Amino acid sequence: MFKNGLRIALGLGRGGKAKVLPFAFITVLAVIGLIMALIAGAVNRYVGEVIADQLNLPSHSDYNGIASIIMFVFAAVVGPELLCRDRRDRVINLYLVRPLTGSDYIACRWASFLTVMTAAAWLPQLILFIGLSMSAPVPAEYLKLHWLDVPRFLGAGFAMAAYATTLALLTASFTSRRAYASVFLVGLFLISTPFTVGLASQIGGAAGQWISMFNLTNIPVHVNDVIFGEVSEITKAAPAAELAASVRVGWWFAWTIIPATILWARYRRLTP
Amino acid sequence: MQPVAGEPLLAVDHVTKRYGKVVALDDISFNITDGITGILGENGAGKSTIIKILLGLLRPTSGTARVLGTIAADSVLVRGRVGYMPEHDCLPGQVSAAEFLTHMAEVSGLPPDMARTRAADTLRHVGLFEERYRAIGGYSTGMKQRVKLCQALVHDPAFVFLDEPTAGLDPTGREEMLALIRKTHREFGISVLFSSHLMADVERTCDRIIVLRAGRLEHAGEVAQFTKETDTVFIEVDTNREQLVAALERRGVIVTADGGGLTVQGSDQSVYDLVRDALVEAEAPLRRIAPRRRELNELFERGAA
Repeated sequence: MFKNGLRIALGLGRGGKAKVLPFAFITVLAVIGLIMALIAGAVNRYVGEVIADQLNLPSHSDYNGIASIIMFVFAAVVGPELLCRDRRDRVINLYLVRPLTGSDYIACRWASFLTVMTAAAWLPQLILFIGLSMSAPVPAEYLKLHWLDVPRFLGAGFAMAAYATTLALLTASFTSRRAYASVFLVGLFLISTPFTVGLASQIGGAAGQWISMFNLTNIPVHVNDVIFGEVSEITKAAPAAELAASVRVGWWFAWTIIPATILWARYRRLTP
Repeated sequence: MQPVAGEPLLAVDHVTKRYGKVVALDDISFNITDGITGILGENGAGKSTIIKILLGLLRPTSGTARVLGTIAADSVLVRGRVGYMPEHDCLPGQVSAAEFLTHMAEVSGLPPDMARTRAADTLRHVGLFEERYRAIGGYSTGMKQRVKLCQALVHDPAFVFLDEPTAGLDPTGREEMLALIRKTHREFGISVLFSSHLMADVERTCDRIIVLRAGRLEHAGEVAQFTKETDTVFIEVDTNREQLVAALERRGVIVTADGGGLTVQGSDQSVYDLVRDALVEAEAPLRRIAPRRRELNELFERGAA
């Protein structure tokens, strides 16, 4: 089931059209990482490391903020394919008469899409890290000084992937049409940003900070900020960034664990 | 989990299933050993409910249902030894039959290499080997039905449940499907429980039948026992049917209309002699004369009465 989930998410074993979207998203994310690495490398090489530091060039921390919206759209467009088609074609009825429970099914689907999302989150960061190392005057020195960035971007990428995967699959569990789930999710992410930003700035104070926490695209970026110990470009203006790290991480947990529990509950007792 | 010699493959013991006040199955008991068994009944008779209980998808309100000696609802592992072909569409249109069946075999617990081999074998068995790399969405209804049968067989089960396997097929497709079911048992040694409301299909394919009516077990036994010869003779003529009836009655033979033909009481030589004389007298061209066999639909007519 896990392997099949990976194949569905990447469109493998299906027609050419099924491969376009997942690979387009992964390519775009990788290209962002590559461009960031090239810019940082070129600036390092041509203006020197000291001036480059002053220019505040995009870093590993900033990457997740920049790429988060693409990750969410990726999850919204590709994720529902793992559940909606099984229900629409009624293939799920064949799974449930095999040595497999509803919980096994949904756990495998979740794990397979999480793997794809995590890989999509890590690949550009890896490109960026390699690019930055190679462009440094002394690559070994760069690795010695910045090795901690690796576990940080791995952790931050996983946080983003787990959050986006869970919300995408939960939405998909309510419909057998992928398009409905995708439109709903993209709409939710796009609407929550201007709505919460506007309302939070109007109200201000502690209430404004909490309203800002409902900006769904920022939830994993706050975790990214906590992991890297700095506020990224995307969350700089968000009042929620001023909340304690434990609150921001707890909020991410809540938005990942509660939807995951609802998703599991929906599939646990499923029968054909 | 292998079938034990001498033990029934399926054992249903006093199973009752209630949904609130509705009784879907009412104290049903039967055993199924090797072979092809037909489960007959009208819509709502409880065919799907008993299949779901045997697959472990529903728990009976009371009684036990064992598959290969195991209560199916207690362990999902037994489902690795049974196959199920649902009545409705359940195939993904985008993938090829080979890919889909390999995946289904793996889900049932076969290692990848064996799953690929079994997928190819079952596709060859149903005559779809040449088409195995085409997307299922482009298949005809008959081909899709055969892929549905394949997915039930691909993991080499000991027992397979087929729910209305001929539904939606044209007469040729129906014949092919029934032949495949017989071949499945004969060549693969897989026993079959075959649910249908088409008595002709069951009569021609099954060794045994189970008849359900409104949740109750009406009959269970060998098909041959139900369709054995009766103490009557069936006659069919091309013309002069009324004259033949009159000639038979004049000879003291009890005769009744039976569809397009006539049924005559008695089956000994003297009755045949009387029929011969009556045919000559009535100048009725004989199309068919044979000892009359009971038909399965009589079970339903009797039950309804």
